[in-house]
Amino acid sequence: MESAALIIVLVIALALFFDFTNGFHDTANAMATPIATGALKPKVAVLLAASLNLVGAFLSTEVAKTISGGMIREDQLSPDIFPPIIFAGLIGAITWNMLTWLLGLPSSSSHALFGGLIGATLVGVGASAIDTGVVLSKVILPALIAPLTAGIIAFAVTKIAYGITRRYDMKADGRDGFRWGQIFTSSLVALAHGTNDAQKTMGVITLALITVGWQSTSNPDPQLWVVFACALTIALGTYMGGWRIIRTLGKGLTDVKPAQGFSAETSTAATILASSALGFALSTTQVASGSVIGSGLGRRGSTVRWNTVGRIMIGWVLTLPAAGAVGAAAALIVVWLGGWGVAVDAVIAVVIIMGLFLRSRRDSVTSANAMSEVADSGAAVNVPRKPGPTRRQRRLERDKVGRDA
Amino acid sequence: MLINWEAFLHVFVAAIVGAAIVVTFYSVGLRLLVRGGRPPLVSPAEFTDAITVLTDKQKRRAEKAVAKAAKKNPLSDAQKRVSLIGAYLCFAVCAAAVLGALLLILLRH
Repeated sequence: MESAALIIVLVIALALFFDFTNGFHDTANAMATPIATGALKPKVAVLLAASLNLVGAFLSTEVAKTISGGMIREDQLSPDIFPPIIFAGLIGAITWNMLTWLLGLPSSSSHALFGGLIGATLVGVGASAIDTGVVLSKVILPALIAPLTAGIIAFAVTKIAYGITRRYDMKADGRDGFRWGQIFTSSLVALAHGTNDAQKTMGVITLALITVGWQSTSNPDPQLWVVFACALTIALGTYMGGWRIIRTLGKGLTDVKPAQGFSAETSTAATILASSALGFALSTTQVASGSVIGSGLGRRGSTVRWNTVGRIMIGWVLTLPAAGAVGAAAALIVVWLGGWGVAVDAVIAVVIIMGLFLRSRRDSVTSANAMSEVADSGAAVNVPRKPGPTRRQRRLERDKVGRDA
Repeated sequence: MLINWEAFLHVFVAAIVGAAIVVTFYSVGLRLLVRGGRPPLVSPAEFTDAITVLTDKQKRRAEKAVAKAAKKNPLSDAQKRVSLIGAYLCFAVCAAAVLGALLLILLRH
């Protein structure tokens, strides 16, 4: 019983650490654009992002229930075996996250978490413990469909935004007002982030509590203290990550226009919020990337750089199985060495966390790398600085030439 | 294995309707602000929607240009007022749409 309690404490600590790094990493997704466009002062932006992540975490617990009461079949699990397996899964997720960070590969913290958990469960317990239907319908299919959905929506609303504000008489079009709209939409993205990403850690902790019998199987809702702990941790991570970004974020971001940023952020927030309400566990980074690509394509004369899209897609597709393989390796150590295996995994976790810490101290954040993968995805679309005229503009031009002649 | 495809359709429809309402009304609101003689900020004429951080001098010059454009506005004061009221109503619809969506999520929860 004491060893089970110790492992649960380790699982909670590691899960909260994962939650912290998630908030730390994802602030850029929500707030870098309004900071760069001058819509928000850095201090205000970071504080707003942290507060809204906190609020978002309380808004819905559907995603947490998907993880704690759907993905894994609790009735197939033994309270002695499963907590160390969750621990191994978390190590798999954190290791893969660190590796992709060091190598500069596009990845997703959420998929690393799912991959780690699934890989560790497969090795530690067996395929029967995984509800393939739930994994497919609530994790894998949303992972494939959500970025596409966000991209299509962003494409459509970017067309709407540009269409409505386009002027044919060269007078002020008011598009600068989208800069202020971005305060509102980036706040929504931060809120949506809280409704999806904070939930994943809540789900993992609740799953651990259920397997040792500290929470009833019939009630997969996260307990209030779990909700508070995860919400506060992700908000703290967001706040700390934000400071790291604003230290060096200058005026380097000039390629996302306010109207485009506004449309992309609206699409991201709408997709994540609608998905969270139905319990779909998404990668917020992938949804935001899909929106940035879609909104870029929504601008006149833009073309896709398929090489960049391919590189991003490979990173996305690789994350789940790769994190699963690392999680499975960590679970194998537990299966072979029992209690000692947990100790070995714990040492590995400490080494990885120390490595992350040292690396973050050495790594300088610049306006070039502060935007993470979401900004990278902007490079997947080539938008001309001066797009050709619209059909109506061509007609007006022809009429003018006719009149002059 | 049961996959609820309808749920994906729900997400798509809810997200596209929500995003379209927000973007359409916000854009119309901006157009009405301009019509009412209060463009949010005058952008560089060369590339109207570029993200450019203006210096104080440029800002003063831009504000003067806005004032000049407002004087040339052919609309009557009443028409301008109606446009401005329309603009604020559009922004209110955006806020109401977001609050409504959040309320729906809370009620489901």
